[in-house]
Amino acid sequence: MSRLQGRQPHELRPIKISFDGLARVDGSARFSFGPISALSSVSGPIEVRLASENASQATLEVLVRPLSNVPATEAKALAATVRALLTPSLLLASNPRSLVQIVAQALVSSKKANANAVTAAVVNASSLALLNAGSVPMRGVVCAVAVGRRKGDGGALVVDPDEGHGVLDAEGCFAFMFTRDGSDTQAQCVWTNWKQGSGDESVLSAARELAGRAADDVYAAIHTSVEGIGQAEPTIVLSKARSEETAMEAIVDNEESDDKMEI
Amino acid sequence: MSAIVLPGTTVPAQHVNLKLGPGLIQRTGAGEAGPSIISSRAGTLNHSSNGSKWWVESNSRRYVPAPQESVIGVIAQKVGDGFRVDIGSAHSASLDGLAFESATKRNKPNLKIGCLVYARVSLAHKDMEPELECFDAQTRKSEGFGEVKGGFLVRCSLKMCRDLLDPKHFLLPLLGARFPLEAAVGMNGRVWVNAKEPKQIIAISRCIEAVDPDNGGADEAGVKALLGALDV
Repeated sequence: MSRLQGRQPHELRPIKISFDGLARVDGSARFSFGPISALSSVSGPIEVRLASENASQATLEVLVRPLSNVPATEAKALAATVRALLTPSLLLASNPRSLVQIVAQALVSSKKANANAVTAAVVNASSLALLNAGSVPMRGVVCAVAVGRRKGDGGALVVDPDEGHGVLDAEGCFAFMFTRDGSDTQAQCVWTNWKQGSGDESVLSAARELAGRAADDVYAAIHTSVEGIGQAEPTIVLSKARSEETAMEAIVDNEESDDKMEI
Repeated sequence: MSAIVLPGTTVPAQHVNLKLGPGLIQRTGAGEAGPSIISSRAGTLNHSSNGSKWWVESNSRRYVPAPQESVIGVIAQKVGDGFRVDIGSAHSASLDGLAFESATKRNKPNLKIGCLVYARVSLAHKDMEPELECFDAQTRKSEGFGEVKGGFLVRCSLKMCRDLLDPKHFLLPLLGARFPLEAAVGMNGRVWVNAKEPKQIIAISRCIEAVDPDNGGADEAGVKALLGALDV
């Protein structure tokens, strides 16, 4: 199995999280899987237009902006997706007749090959922005990862695929809502857009299980980053992948990586 | 004891007279071992020494009204007998014209649009718009509430306001030792300050922004350096 950068099938690209502190919104965060990066901001609960007011809960509005051009069909579909999968994790009934507005900006141009990775980055950035805002009560943290199945290699499943066009014959993004009881983390799959051309449900189950394990890593990275939430400089949290080579390539802000660079 | 918790984390809060503060909710456990307490925001979990009061300490910029909190509002509109006041929440608050000390039907306060008032939230329910009062409920005297004239309004995060209201915090005594100042701290992320010279008002405003946890949280030494640079 040879993936780019020698990643294992269950390994994600290095995760970078920073809390940007955008001026006019209540919370904002940036999340990236390697080069696939997304920025999300949250404002809420704020005043709502009378037409979209809901008497028993807050209205959740998600807007996704692609890197270039006005939001077209893909952006609107992604926005509807993100809205559907964030709704179970928010306690919208605490703030009726108000608006929670999430605006997500994709920071890479969206091509067919990285669409699922961008979806996952947007979802994770939105979860982080909601944690940063702290004004909307939540009942869990939603984390997402992209999974693909390679054509060769006996249909091996890989996480966070960057294999490029034509190498995968099945792919999709899985989103999990995480809760924690003591040291025990529970993940519940809340959404997927898995598409496969051939094979049966066992492929979907295997893909979901693999995604769940990778989403655990995302949740752990989010937990670490929350500790640095109030700093002036954006806190950069790197999830050091298990292989040394990836650690050397990753952009750094910790002192210990300088030693590794000298190898 | 302060551990970082994320939303959805179960909190081991158990006491006969348990009181849950901000950031904690009780989930009715259907079919499990009973109701459990989970955190609803990201922050540090704290509890009182005897374990009866638990809460999650976190910072945010958006105010959600809660009763008995003092806030600074901006008059947005005159409606009938009262005013609509913007307190930074999702809904405007209503302030009755008679909710001032020594106000009668013939002697109502004449507040213009854009005026600042220091008021107390008397009613804050999620289904109703919040209501304000400009007097203390027991004594019916103003106790500092009412219109504030002159000065300058500084915006900051909610944790900064809570810190400024803490008598043990260093910032206001440090500034007050250098020049006389007045300040009214609202729990909605707004602080009204007033001093004799504009230079001093600007210095106070810059210091509040510097000490704000959202902007890095400068400490006493940092503030002294900043004041030295501002020549106040």
